[in-house]
Parts: sequence; C-alpha cells; structure tokens
Amino acid sequence: MALSTHTTPSGFLLPSIHSAPPFFTEQPNPNTQAHLTEQWIRLILTYARHRRLFILRVEDAEVPGGDWDEILRNERINRRVPPSYISSLMAGMIAKNVAVYEPPKQTRAVMLYWRLPEEWADVLHSWATATGQLNTILTFYEISDPPIPSPLSDIPIPLLRRAITILMRSNRAQIIGVADGEGVRFFAATK
Amino acid sequence: MGSSQSTPKVTAHDRAILDLKLQRDKLKQYQKKIQVVLDREHEIAKAHLATGQKDRAVIALRRRKYQQSLLLKTDSQLENLEQLVSTIEFSLIEVSVLHGLKQGNEVLQEIHREMSIESVEKLMDETQEAREYQREIGDLLANRLTNDEEGAVQEELRALQAEALGQAEPEVRMDLPSPPSSLPLLSPPEGQGSSRLLRSRDPHISAEVQQTSPTTNREQVAMLG
Repeated sequence: MALSTHTTPSGFLLPSIHSAPPFFTEQPNPNTQAHLTEQWIRLILTYARHRRLFILRVEDAEVPGGDWDEILRNERINRRVPPSYISSLMAGMIAKNVAVYEPPKQTRAVMLYWRLPEEWADVLHSWATATGQLNTILTFYEISDPPIPSPLSDIPIPLLRRAITILMRSNRAQIIGVADGEGVRFFAATK
Repeated sequence: MGSSQSTPKVTAHDRAILDLKLQRDKLKQYQKKIQVVLDREHEIAKAHLATGQKDRAVIALRRRKYQQSLLLKTDSQLENLEQLVSTIEFSLIEVSVLHGLKQGNEVLQEIHREMSIESVEKLMDETQEAREYQREIGDLLANRLTNDEEGAVQEELRALQAEALGQAEPEVRMDLPSPPSSLPLLSPPEGQGSSRLLRSRDPHISAEVQQTSPTTNREQVAMLG
C-alpha cells in the first residue's frame, strides 16, 4: 500500500513514514536505526507540543487508551510500538537532551522538553509580564493551573521549577519558601 | 546563588501573602475533589435507580447534597481569602504609592532649599535693576536724536498714515461745494459789456475756472476707482 500522511482525530498530521510497518520495530542496521530514532523523536516531540503532553511512559505503549495512542499505534497497518522500543527511544531522547527521567532514578517515564527549560523560562517570564504579575507572589499551583488558560497551563511542577531556576540565575525570579509550600516572585529584566 | 544583591529581601509580608495564596490553592483543590465526588455520587444514584434500589439512590443523593453544601461553604471561604489577598496586595500598592509620594516630597523640598524666597527676591530685584538700567540706556540713546530728526520721524509717520488712508482720501474731498458750471457773465448786460468781459478775464474768476478742473478730474478718478 502507498505510504501517505494521515490526519488523526485530534487534528495531528502524521508523516507518511508512520504508515510504514518497519517504522514500528527496531532495525538491526545501526545507521538505519539512528535515522529512525531521529524520526521518532521528532514525531513524539511535535505530537507532544500539539496535544500539550509533558510525560511519556513506557506504559503508554503497553496499554491502549492513553494520550499517546494516535502515534504509538497504527491500527490501519495493525502495528504498535513495543515497550522495549519506547524504552530505547526514551534513552535516545535523554541522550539528545530533549527529555529527562521524571521522577529521576527510574526509566519508566520521561518528561519531554518540546520546549527547552530555557525556552520555558522565557515563556514564563513573558507571561508574568504580559499579565502584570511582576513583583507579585505567585504559587506554583496558580501558574500551572490558572483560571484563564495560559501557555503554562498544566506545566509539570519539576519543569516549572527548572524554568524558575534559570530565571533566578539572571535575577528575574525569586523563590519564597514557607512551611506550607513555595511561591515565586518575578522581576523585570535588569538589562 | 549570587542573586541577593538585586532581588529584594523576602519579608514577613511576602510570607503571609504566600501563606494565604497557598491556602487559597488548597481550597481550590478541595473544591475540585468535591466536584469529583459530586459527579460520582450522581452516577451512583443513577446506577441504583437503574437497578431499582430506590433507597440506596436516595442515600447517594443525600450524600451528594451534603457535599454540595460543603462546596458552597468553601466558596464563601474562598471568597473571603481572595478578598483578603487582594486587600493586602492593594495595601502594598498603597504603601508603595505613599513611598513614592514621600520621595517626591523630599526631592521637592531639596529643590526648594536651593531656591529660597530670599534668593528669589534678590534675583528679582537684580533683574528689576538690570531692566531699569537698560531703560536708562535706551532713554539716553533716544535723547541723542535732535529735534529736527524727531520732526522728520513724525513727518514720515504722517506720510505712512496718509498712505494707509489713501483710499478714503478722495471721498472726503467730494464734500466740497462744486463751483458753478456756467459763467453767468457770458450774457453781458447792455452798455457795460466790454467792462464785464474784461472782468471775466479777472484773475480771480480765471482762478475759479481753473479750480473746477481738478475737482472734475477727481470726480472722474473716483468714478473710475
């Protein structure tokens, strides 16, 4: 059958390679496999950005019904990504610094960097500036679950913390800790 | 982290606000939880009704009602908290406005100190003196003009004024009585004709005749104009 692109129900355009059965298995030739890994990583990150997904688990390949079904499975050619393949793709993403194990010290789930923490830091700071929340104390919950949807809605707290740490290095944020939890305060850029 | 030099210190105020906000977040999360329970109880009641266990459905609905009242209570608490938070934040802004006003006032005082009333008065006096001095010089220079020159100036002024009024001038002259157009002396009485004719050549009369011509000319000019 001819390989063609396919639009998923969520409106994501799958590349034509997604309709090729070999795409769903690890290839013995290391060059071919390196190329395929590249394709997979790009596919996973663009899909994550499209759906605003932050976490990829090995489990997503094992059980159907998750957020990732649209790309980890292709019912039209009756293929799915085996969990072992997902694990090695995760390792590949971590090697390329576009994901980290989250929580650390396990290999079953990764947090995806479809925006690098540095980019998130910029997004965070411009959001705070645009909404007039500089010099105001904000809770993490307030940022990741704002009443009005923002570019930061649903951001995982560890990623948020990373972005804030980057802002702290340039004196654009300050973390305030109390017994009950933590808050952050943003400042205008000094330069 | 070397971030202490430009970021402000965390004050007790900040901690209090953060505490309040964290409480608010907790309430929000609690509300979410209750909402989930509410939906769940609703489903349970539906399922019980479907299987015909009416009393169980009623119990589920009762529980649901209780959760609903909790939700309402947390709503009012949330409102209180949010009001408090915004009041505090507003007061902080007021404090900063006050601080700004204070600083502005200090600057103003500083400026006023440099600009005391005495020095201003002195300065104004000096200015006044300088102005008077200037006027004296002006007077002195003006007095250098001789009376002749002054007369010439006045003459020039008059000429300029006349020029400006040039248009109105002829109409004023129009009011002059027009001289007689016919010479009654041309029909001489008998006997004295020669002497009358002689008189008609009298310089006085000829002057009269001469005078008529410029007026008529002027009339013509006025008509043309």
